[in-house]
Amino acid sequence: MAKIAKTLDEISVRTIRTVVEEVHSEGGSAASSPRKIAASYAVLKNPWLHEGTAASLTDFAAYAAPILAQEITSRLLEHLGDANDVEAFGKAAVVGLNGEIEHGGAFIHTPFFGNIFREILGGTSIICFSESRAEPSDSLRVPLWHKTEAATRDYYQSLEIQLPDAPHADEIVVMGLASDGPRPHPRIGDRATDPTVTLDIFQGE
Amino acid sequence: MKLRKITTIVDEVLMEGGKGVDPVARTAVVAAIIENPWKDQGFVDDLGPGIDDIAPQLGELLAPRVMEALGTPLEAYGKAAIVGLNGEIEHGSGLIHTLKFGNYFRDAADASTLLPAVEKRGPAGIVFDIPLKHFTDATIRSHHQSFEVRIPDAPHADEILVALAGASQGRPQQRLADLSTEQ
Repeated sequence: MAKIAKTLDEISVRTIRTVVEEVHSEGGSAASSPRKIAASYAVLKNPWLHEGTAASLTDFAAYAAPILAQEITSRLLEHLGDANDVEAFGKAAVVGLNGEIEHGGAFIHTPFFGNIFREILGGTSIICFSESRAEPSDSLRVPLWHKTEAATRDYYQSLEIQLPDAPHADEIVVMGLASDGPRPHPRIGDRATDPTVTLDIFQGE
Repeated sequence: MKLRKITTIVDEVLMEGGKGVDPVARTAVVAAIIENPWKDQGFVDDLGPGIDDIAPQLGELLAPRVMEALGTPLEAYGKAAIVGLNGEIEHGSGLIHTLKFGNYFRDAADASTLLPAVEKRGPAGIVFDIPLKHFTDATIRSHHQSFEVRIPDAPHADEILVALAGASQGRPQQRLADLSTEQ
């Protein structure tokens, strides 16, 4: 098997931040149970600076992404419980100004991250995502959806994450998110209950 | 107390200034977003009854959570009150500048010093910095630090955000001469 990093020191991680939002009340009504949604992100050195757009990104992604997925999910589960408590998930990358968004994609859009993240959290869906390139101290809103039934509308949700002092120009933020349930008061139906909606609706009264 | 949400932030610093930090420096913040207990009451002369009601509930809620989130012995701490645009800063100060709030944290952390604080009024999503100082001797310079927080969507105009912050150590890579060397 290929050599992979086993600690965050080996891939020059500067900080890890974990944010958990616990919603007790929304729209003036109590949530049925406090709804938890969590994000955890690592800030690490961009390994591909000055290599140009022809360079392959696979080797370092294969080396570094599995430990990122493992460390991020372990922090999410510290706050949410075990994999059975996780119902929705998402992921994100924010690249510092000296890098390419493609560098962030190398970490989050490959099986070296996604498969480990899914396996630990007990999911099967494609993981929805957000990505950007930004100055430090920007914010990012990241979508989540159901971990096994991605089209379940009640679980479409998102979390805004502030990134103080990150990513520096030569860094990348790699983030995973999970929640323990749907939105606090979901009531916008689902595919099973939707009427047929086509352009023909403009032909009516 | 009408609680809308609780936000927990745990920060781990593994490297600073290009060098490893060992042990990893941890900081935890737990913030409660509650309805302003003096909402729609005009100028209230005596804030005492509201403070007596709400401040202990906030202390009891936040102190154990911030200790659990920190997950290591605490060496520095601080607090914050951010008042939504319809309230007075005095409302936030009332909730945090009382032993009925702070003693929950001091007892949980085995601490003895006053908690440094930030109080301000602002719109939802305002950035604030929580000052932290050493938990038994506020003159220990290595532990003077602050922690940036922004909680999207809070506080609303009729809300107050109250937070506690704890750190496992002083500044990562702290290396300033002690106060005593300048006296």
